[in-house]
Amino acid sequence: MSAGALGDQPLARAAPSGVRGRPRWRSVVTVSAIALYVLGTYGLAHGTLYIQGLVLVAAVFAVLAVSLDLVAGVLGLYSLGHAGLFALGAYATTLLYTNHGWNLFVLLPVCVVGVGLVGLILGALSLRVSGLYFAITTFVFTLLLTAFASDLSWTGGFGGLVGPIFPHFSSGLNWLGASLIWCCMAVLLVAILISLALRRSPLYPVLLAIRDAEPFAAAAGARTARVKICMFGLSAAMAGAAGWVFSFQGIVSPGQFNGPVAVNILVMVILGGINTTLGPVIGAAFISIFPVEVAINPFWQEVLFGGLFIAVIVAYPAGFVGFLTMLGRRARDRLRAGSTVAQGRPAAAVSEPAGRRLAPTEIASVEAAAREGAAHPEAVPLAIEQSPRSPAPAGGGALAVECRGINFAYTRGTPVLIDVDFVVRQGTIHGLIGPNGSGKSTLVDLIAGRLRPMSGTISLDGKRLERDGAPARARHGFMRTFQAAVLVRELSASENVSVGYYTRIPRLAMRAAAWPILPGTRREAGALREHSATALRFVAAGQWADARVANVPHGVEQLTQLAAACVAGPKAVILDEPLAGLSPTEVEHMASILSELKSAGVSVILIEHQPRFVFALCDEVTVLDAGEVVVSGPAAEVRTNDRVREVYLGQ
Amino acid sequence: MLQVLLSGLAIGAIYGLVGMGFAIGFYVTRVINFAEGQLLMVAVMVAAAIARAGVSPVIGIVGGIAAASLAGVVTYLVAIRPVLIFNRFSFAWLVSTLGVGLILENLAAIIWGSTSTSFPTLLNGTSVHIGNATLSLQELVTIGVAIAMAIVFELIRKRTLLGKVGMAVALDPEMASAVGVNTTAVAVAAFALAGLFAGVAGVLIGPITYSNPYLGETYGIAGFVALMIGGTERPVAAMVGGLILGILGQAANTVINTQASDWFPFVVVVVILLLLPEGLFSIRGTALRGLLRGVRRPSESAS
Repeated sequence: MSAGALGDQPLARAAPSGVRGRPRWRSVVTVSAIALYVLGTYGLAHGTLYIQGLVLVAAVFAVLAVSLDLVAGVLGLYSLGHAGLFALGAYATTLLYTNHGWNLFVLLPVCVVGVGLVGLILGALSLRVSGLYFAITTFVFTLLLTAFASDLSWTGGFGGLVGPIFPHFSSGLNWLGASLIWCCMAVLLVAILISLALRRSPLYPVLLAIRDAEPFAAAAGARTARVKICMFGLSAAMAGAAGWVFSFQGIVSPGQFNGPVAVNILVMVILGGINTTLGPVIGAAFISIFPVEVAINPFWQEVLFGGLFIAVIVAYPAGFVGFLTMLGRRARDRLRAGSTVAQGRPAAAVSEPAGRRLAPTEIASVEAAAREGAAHPEAVPLAIEQSPRSPAPAGGGALAVECRGINFAYTRGTPVLIDVDFVVRQGTIHGLIGPNGSGKSTLVDLIAGRLRPMSGTISLDGKRLERDGAPARARHGFMRTFQAAVLVRELSASENVSVGYYTRIPRLAMRAAAWPILPGTRREAGALREHSATALRFVAAGQWADARVANVPHGVEQLTQLAAACVAGPKAVILDEPLAGLSPTEVEHMASILSELKSAGVSVILIEHQPRFVFALCDEVTVLDAGEVVVSGPAAEVRTNDRVREVYLGQ
Repeated sequence: MLQVLLSGLAIGAIYGLVGMGFAIGFYVTRVINFAEGQLLMVAVMVAAAIARAGVSPVIGIVGGIAAASLAGVVTYLVAIRPVLIFNRFSFAWLVSTLGVGLILENLAAIIWGSTSTSFPTLLNGTSVHIGNATLSLQELVTIGVAIAMAIVFELIRKRTLLGKVGMAVALDPEMASAVGVNTTAVAVAAFALAGLFAGVAGVLIGPITYSNPYLGETYGIAGFVALMIGGTERPVAAMVGGLILGILGQAANTVINTQASDWFPFVVVVVILLLLPEGLFSIRGTALRGLLRGVRRPSESAS
């Protein structure tokens, strides 16, 4: 909670300079798109029954596809349970209306909440496994539901049930046309808006981090399992709403929700364009309208259908939206060809969005820019500088991190750490060195909360943390980087850095689904961008802010990680071999970053292999060998210790 | 009781063969070929067509299996390889392999008609009595062939260079290709083998089901469930999964009611997945590992 309170302060300060232009321009586009959508719905509501029938089916599947994309695209959870959740909504509406006379409009929230809860349970059970097994467990859920629906008498068996009839508009509103079209399109609009809101909220980079770089997300403070389950619940609730709408379209029978349908919804998502808002809608429209519209020999039609599946996916693995963005990029490039490119600014090359690889010459020029940046680090004040903690007097500060009597073993009988004591004074840089296999990374994982010690205590500023997981420790101000950078490759460097700010945005996960319409969020988002940019400038990677991480050199990945660890103003940071793969100038710059962190009162734990660097930079050094502390103390003392020279320095 | 067991084994052997087909393709490429069931159908249809042309059913059987194997390779080259080249970890193959399934199924319906047609009786006419159970010779042969194929496959995988190369590609294709393995050739071989398994299943089940372009869906789903029960770590586990699924289905039909095979096996799958999220025969399965550890611990402390 204190982290949240602290977070408000820099937010408020940075607000006035927050970037504003783009979001406002965006909301104009959004509002006009919604107006067009409503107009279109008005037109459809007066269309022929044939068109209405097509639209109703397409819209229901579009809701399903959008809901599935929220878990499949955003979190990488390929659920085949959505057909089952869809069935729950449709059967619940039909049964409760027909047999118990419930009001149809009460049933909507009932379906949303009820199916959402089922989704939470299903998610919690299936999320113990990932990848293919998640798909399988959820698939079994769908198969079971349809098998029961076909075999039980009160669900009407194979024939199914006749769904309720959606009430027409009262005479005063008759001019609106078919009420069911309005209802259906309204549900779809809400689904699309939720998907858009999530994608525009600062939670989106965090969600992608959970998908692609789970340890990174957890270290940034995201309770990954809980977020996944809640997202699955939200997605399930949307599928329940789709079921509610579907029940008004005639018969509700098991064949409409079986295994092939479950797979089909995923096909819609992938074919349209996974992890986009519009893609699932396009995919759903294509798959539900194509078979009706292309009225040739049904067998040839199916062959054509299958052929299109292959052709689209093989040519554009990103689906229809991939095809559209390719067209859009081509058009933009052609427009640009005459004007901007001629100027050839290196910054333009870096800010190039989506997918495009940098040309060799461009890379050379940006690398030159990076070197320049490293040689003349811009003096950028970081949020931490304003933190109340004062720099500790060298050597004699209070204990920040305190580990006592740590024992750990991966498998019983082969201890990795034996009775390790490890203390870091506040505002100092503490080096942790030792030969390969000495237990350095294990100790760091224990301190950061990825692993739990078998015995011993770990505390930060006197607060015991050894029972907490990694996210809780991040909330207490413990941040870390990883030896091999784990970042979201498809996001920009600054978006990756913003993941590190997760704990400082109060109740972000709760608010993300309605982000753009909540008060103050634009200011918060602006402040977040500002903080991320500042943190990147702090590590002298400012010019990479808009470059996709997939396209940046290795050294910049390391710096991005460091910026993500610093952006939230941590009390202590753990850097796991931050120098691996850095050039000499970058190493020099890293040294100045660490000194700056230190003078801001941050305690730094540094794991490193280069003794020269460690002894020059660290105030204190702990040497591990074979799971035991060889020596711990001021750097100069440790350096002259005989055993250290023997086991580590090889002298 | 014996009847249920034997009939279950006979149908389960078919599920197991299809399941192994899924598993072999998945083992090497991490792709579930959703057209696997349709490969079984291709074998049935081709074998039936050759037999109807008046040629010996043996040639029909060979032709059917070869056609299924070929279709497996074509599926890989057309629908799987291009997707994996773009992104080895994407799920886009789901769409393209389903597309292949649709094409195979409907082409078969266009060429041979969408209704059931005859299939050579083969050994299905002869009955065998075992104890108080009656089985057709065809069913008995099915059980034997399926188990033999599973064992031979496992021996090849573990004991021959080819099998070890396959294991290497399964573990880390980039590393395997770095040490000189032609990963494409291994994948082609795997999909040929996957088609072969489905094809054999097809000609074994053909005399019982007759030939029908929609066979692929039924046996595809059953084979997939067999794979789920067994887990994906070792292809041979899918055979055991298939046999279990077959016996459970038969038992449910006899003991509960005639429709119980629709849902009972799935209940079992749910229970299995909840207890052992990675399948019944996974070495990483929690409960099984716990058992193994329980067994191992005393010996450890003794030594």
